[in-house]
Amino acid sequence: MERAELPSPLQASRLAPVRSLLRAMIVPIMSVIVALAIGAVIISLSGANPLVAYSALFEGGLGSGRAIGRTLEKATPLIFGGLAVSLAFKCGLFNIGAQGQLLLGAIFAAFIGFSLQGLPAVVHIPLALLVGAIMGALWAAIAGTLKALTGAHEVITTIMLNFVAFNLTDWLSDGPWKDRSPGNIVARTPAVAPEARLPDIAGVPLGMILAVLAAIAVWWLIWRTTIGFELRTVGQNASAARYAGISVRRMTVLAMVASGFLAGLGGAVETLGVVGRFQPGFNVGLGFQAITIALLARTNPIAVIPASLLIGVMQAGASRMQFNSGVASEIIDVIQAIILFFVAADSIIRWILRLRAEEGERVTLSSGWGS
Amino acid sequence: MKRSVSLIILLLVSALIAACGGPQAGGVTPTAAPPTGATPAPAKPTEADCPKPEVLCVGLVTDVGEIDDKSFNQSAWEGVKRAEAELGAIVNYVETKDAKDYDANIALFTEKGYDVIVTVGFALGEATAKAAAENPNVKFIGVDQFQATTIPNVAGLIFAEDKAGFLAGVLAAGMSKSNKIAAVLGTNLVPPVVAFKEGYENGAKYLKPDIQVIATYHPGGLDTAFTDPKWGADQAKLAIDQGADVIFGAGGKTGNGALIETAANADKGVYCIGVDTDQWETVPEARPCLISSAMKLITPGVFDLIKKAQEGNFPSGNYVGEVGLAPFHDFDAKIPAELKAKIAEVDKGLRDGTISTGYKP
Amino acid sequence: MQITDTLARPSVARLPWVTIGVWGGLAILVLVAYARAPQATTAVLTSTIRQSTPIILGALAGIMCERSGVINIGIEGMMLIAAFLGFMFNVWTGDLLLATMGALLVGAAVGAFHALMSITLKVDQIIAGTVINILAVGLTGYFYQQGLTTRGKLTPVSIPVLADIPIIGPVFFSNPPITYASLVLIVVIHVLLFRTVWGLRTRAVGEHPAAADTVGIAVNRVRYINVIIGGMLAGLAGGFLTLESVGSFERNMTNGRGFVSLAVMIFGKWTPFGAWGGSLLFGFANALQSQIQFLKNQLPPWLAWIGDLPPQFIGMLPYVLTIAVLAGFVGRARPPAAIGKVYEKE
Repeated sequence: MERAELPSPLQASRLAPVRSLLRAMIVPIMSVIVALAIGAVIISLSGANPLVAYSALFEGGLGSGRAIGRTLEKATPLIFGGLAVSLAFKCGLFNIGAQGQLLLGAIFAAFIGFSLQGLPAVVHIPLALLVGAIMGALWAAIAGTLKALTGAHEVITTIMLNFVAFNLTDWLSDGPWKDRSPGNIVARTPAVAPEARLPDIAGVPLGMILAVLAAIAVWWLIWRTTIGFELRTVGQNASAARYAGISVRRMTVLAMVASGFLAGLGGAVETLGVVGRFQPGFNVGLGFQAITIALLARTNPIAVIPASLLIGVMQAGASRMQFNSGVASEIIDVIQAIILFFVAADSIIRWILRLRAEEGERVTLSSGWGS
Repeated sequence: MKRSVSLIILLLVSALIAACGGPQAGGVTPTAAPPTGATPAPAKPTEADCPKPEVLCVGLVTDVGEIDDKSFNQSAWEGVKRAEAELGAIVNYVETKDAKDYDANIALFTEKGYDVIVTVGFALGEATAKAAAENPNVKFIGVDQFQATTIPNVAGLIFAEDKAGFLAGVLAAGMSKSNKIAAVLGTNLVPPVVAFKEGYENGAKYLKPDIQVIATYHPGGLDTAFTDPKWGADQAKLAIDQGADVIFGAGGKTGNGALIETAANADKGVYCIGVDTDQWETVPEARPCLISSAMKLITPGVFDLIKKAQEGNFPSGNYVGEVGLAPFHDFDAKIPAELKAKIAEVDKGLRDGTISTGYKP
Repeated sequence: MQITDTLARPSVARLPWVTIGVWGGLAILVLVAYARAPQATTAVLTSTIRQSTPIILGALAGIMCERSGVINIGIEGMMLIAAFLGFMFNVWTGDLLLATMGALLVGAAVGAFHALMSITLKVDQIIAGTVINILAVGLTGYFYQQGLTTRGKLTPVSIPVLADIPIIGPVFFSNPPITYASLVLIVVIHVLLFRTVWGLRTRAVGEHPAAADTVGIAVNRVRYINVIIGGMLAGLAGGFLTLESVGSFERNMTNGRGFVSLAVMIFGKWTPFGAWGGSLLFGFANALQSQIQFLKNQLPPWLAWIGDLPPQFIGMLPYVLTIAVLAGFVGRARPPAAIGKVYEKE
């Protein structure tokens, strides 16, 4: 467990875990500080007070129990999505389709949630979550199978499947699964049964607990199982994997299915935990933020959690920032991009702080491009 | 080497910023001053005084999108600003970025003691009803929110879009020489858009039963359907190329794209009709072709309801706002007198119920 | 220069049957449709070109980058920034030509930023592209103000004589300037990549940088220049959106077209003409889905069911068609071998 908390480049150095944890954290922390500083410059250039803006941002994200609750709410789907994208990257696949897989998971969880009535929560919740996750997995399996059988590039198919997923879920929520209760004119499904809503456990939303468990599970899968080893081997060098007798096709499909499962689960958690039904427009952008999260975490499943929390704080606080200071919330996109830039271009921060480069695994996400 | 690299980055960032000339964030600056550090002058109340009964505070929560969207968010905000000017209200707004924030964004106002909260868009209906139950002393104005059951402190400001569309259809059919007119629309997932379209089609056929009406809904999801001006422009061109000579653009920025494209083809004798507000003002690029707009008068509707709330006779349930055609502006002389008379006659018929738009929600 | 033999050049010998069959079939279909409804057919084909223009420009941007070994998933962001600043230049100067030049320059600047990250700072290239995408959404959204208007947009210029040919005339010879430019650029980039020394060097750098280095090619310099050229092409695509297609800017107006470009680039196996085929397919499917809605009430009885489909299903057409053609006919695409890898001298 303790080891699981550490980012993977540090697994080698077990002698001074605290020191190396600090060393690993220094670049991300500095990146956030530098990004906030640049953001402050932009805010003051536009005639607002960055201190007012930032204090409102953090008040809205961390200032009260309710604010922290909203941060967790924002971070939960990001963790699932970030894990989905990270897992695919480990196998050399770029899953741009987390958005579509998430939508499918969200709407099928809603379907199970509203169509079945009177089930006890212990049955209803797992069932709805599982169906959502499986639908996400099946949606991703289309891309995985096409790649394995015909070589169709997953970047194309997942981008296209995202668009199809939007259309399909829009139609389902305006057609066969539309909420027909009197007075509703809006495209949305009926509300899920109360028994299917995710409860809080000791004050923490169940979805967040599941997300953390999923992160640990993915870490375990990648680093402690044979499948994980094969997955990483394919990701690093497909032809070497083939020589070693690993079925690249099988791993491709498997990685996409697992990735889609996580994204679908994220969508299901979102439906059952936060929205309470499926409604078009409520899950937009999560899949693309998931890519940012995966990159910010350098595809490390455990690092996905702090990355999601960081972005979650900003998203939760954005409205209050705009309300209190008039600073448009697009500024948080700018800050995110700059954080990502400095985390990736770590040589700049190291040069500023005169730090030596960290030994360890260098992350190349692009190794699988096109193969 | 590395020093120069970071210099380049700094330059790039500052160039990007400088290139934009340091404009204000988000276009419209909220009028309410941030409460921090400001000592309220006794004469002028600030947001901090909102809990006091004599101070009227009005907040607005947008649907996903910006306050300056040239469409319903902006129209509603203008109604709120009119309350600021005429009723001395303290006003502020929150832009919704994520549909899951509706509740939290409404709460930003309720916890500050705002008296009236305007929520814009049908999608906020559920969050509005919930907040109204939790805050029985706060009045809520729900723009485009049909009230199936009456909640005492909620007024749903709704419009008969089909009637506005019907009038636009009569105008379009009357102005068409090719006997083919078109509509470029946002998504069919949004009921007002469907109402505009059905009304338009039936209005055109009311005047000329044999007219051909071609219409297309944006095929994308709710997230892109109203913010895709390129698609709107492409469809307007496609319709003009096959002989349509009046284009009705109804779908936020997507529709605006169709209007501007039609304006670029104005030399071919094509006309366009805008939607929601008088787009002569909001989309000046469309003036070469814009003969009118199918309006729903959100601004006066919002203002009237705020005023009623202040006066203490806030209506619950559904409050039907005005619809109609915008002025013809520069095209006034080009519209035949008999067509104007016909439009006035249809308008009267729609009002007294002798003419039906044929739209069933 | 022996490495040239291994470089992917579109093989002419292998092209024929499937391709000819598909295009021949399409041509016959077009003629049949034209005989039945000339005006509508021409309109759909014109719309096809128009809708494919930003896609092919974005794909060409990707090709220039990736042929030299640099992944570019930031096309979307490059387009958006250039669309925004191109629009702003138009607001400030009121001169469409200057604004187009401005969009090109902005594209070049963002391209240079991508090169800086990917080559000099050795940032993972997928991260670099993502940084550009997010930064573009944030900066343009933050700084855009409503109420800015411009005087007009680029309008079609008919080429005398040629524009009067049925079908071909209106479709190809009556277009606005950036559309013409995109058609010319497809040929130019094809020649540049496959018929010039520069192209040879570019492909060498993208396939086998170490070997290119040993014969004296400055690997990173070639990459820098190609990525900047790619940025300019993406900038032109952005300029197309605000200066030629729409005439004004809206937040996030690219709406995923940069990602579609990326898909089309891979679809065309990193060749300009292949990508053009992909973008035409996409543009056509888009035009067709509107046309189906337009003709909703006039379809022959045996096709009436199509008119009754919800718009969401008709809207899937471009995407499903792309997947089907990709899986059915195009198959595995091999990217440049050295793509995504930072080149460091041994």
